[in-house]
Amino acid sequence: MIELEKVTKIYPTPSGLNVVLDTISFNFAGQSNIGVLGKNGAGKSTLLRIIAGTEQPDSGSVHRQGSVSWPIGFSGGFNGSLSGEENCRFVARIYGAEVDEVVGFTMEFAELGEYFYMPVKTYSSGMRARLAFGLSMAIEFDAYLVDEVTAVGDARFQQKCRKAFQERSGRSCVIIVSHQLTTIKDYCNHCAVLRDGRLHYFTSIDDARRLYEAA
Amino acid sequence: MRGAMTQLQVVYAILLRETKTRFGAHQLGYLWSIVQPVLWITMFAGFYYAFGRMAPPGMSVIAFLATGIVPYSLFRETAGRCLSAIEANKGLLFYPQVRPLDLVIARVLLEAVTQVVVFVLLMGSLALYEGQLRVESPLRVVVGLGLASGLGASFGLVCCGLSVYSRSIEQLYPAMLRPLFWLSAIFHPVDSLPKGFRDILVLNPVIHTIELVRDGWFPGYHARHIDPWYPVVWILVFSFFGLSLERTARKRLELS
Repeated sequence: MIELEKVTKIYPTPSGLNVVLDTISFNFAGQSNIGVLGKNGAGKSTLLRIIAGTEQPDSGSVHRQGSVSWPIGFSGGFNGSLSGEENCRFVARIYGAEVDEVVGFTMEFAELGEYFYMPVKTYSSGMRARLAFGLSMAIEFDAYLVDEVTAVGDARFQQKCRKAFQERSGRSCVIIVSHQLTTIKDYCNHCAVLRDGRLHYFTSIDDARRLYEAA
Repeated sequence: MRGAMTQLQVVYAILLRETKTRFGAHQLGYLWSIVQPVLWITMFAGFYYAFGRMAPPGMSVIAFLATGIVPYSLFRETAGRCLSAIEANKGLLFYPQVRPLDLVIARVLLEAVTQVVVFVLLMGSLALYEGQLRVESPLRVVVGLGLASGLGASFGLVCCGLSVYSRSIEQLYPAMLRPLFWLSAIFHPVDSLPKGFRDILVLNPVIHTIELVRDGWFPGYHARHIDPWYPVVWILVFSFFGLSLERTARKRLELS
């Protein structure tokens, strides 16, 4: 369970303050998968980082029960000069997971072949995302935070990701942020729209679409 | 709140990672950080022999130099590594349980291990060569090295915190510390210095750590003009400012 309580995040910009998240209170309850829809720059990634604890809100608080992943996406967290394998070892260690198991699982899941042992800076962005995704799946979290997962690999790899999440449903939940409705439809049963710093919750994804597309 | 266990895991993971990234893809990798200072000290000893300079009576040149250069390097390298700790590993702050302080602690520990290995290697080889090893007070040696590391860590923490606000610290830093090499009495026992000069030099806390190591190592060496509490005070003052800066730095880091 993750609960946001009056979370506000403001970034200073040259043209004044940008209120990215405006006193958001929200309860990501239970085991259901929730998608957060938002246009580019709506603050989706900021929201995810705050849920993860990578960033602190300017005011308000976040309550987490159970383990929460880092924001899984394309960027961040990998050292370019280390190999995929070495990066996996590092992450396994900081999460106190069994290092060899994590490495083995990720190697198989990410399908990077020889690249797994090469520096991450030689990877394409798709390969990085596959590594990030495989690595996060290798560690058991109660909540997985996913940032724009759609472009990860081809259709077959996406199928694999969906299956991995399905296998975990009941034990873990997923919070996905995306600007594409299709992604959210694929993974989630509930949806919220992030717009003008506020989070609007919908039990039906079609209702969410109406608000999202009206903007 | 995260437990001490998590923090240990994180620091350990960063430490291992640092040994891999420190010298990049170089073949010798981390070993360089041990080879370099050993070569450096051996080279200094070579100069001593070449120019017929002697260590103070009852001390071998290598031991005299090592007891000066190792604590000095421990301070200097620790501070330098701390200064760049956050900048070099910013990407890791992406993981919620990694805090800026963890990056600093890992580097302090790695540098301490490195310099201690250098010290043990040099002194060990010397003991093998001379066929005897006599240390007057291992405790004083350890305390001296510990204080040198603590001074480097706390001073580095201040610089590191400041560097988040102004990158020019990184340019100023080497210029700031260069004179210290000559003001740390690495090549002279403090006792042998003229009084007026000595009174000024002992304001430098690094001297106290070097003298403490020498006092502990050499049976005949008496460091009369030092006070182990003096560097402790510096460490406390630096730590106070450094930790306060760290608290505010994290917020700024997010914006960049």
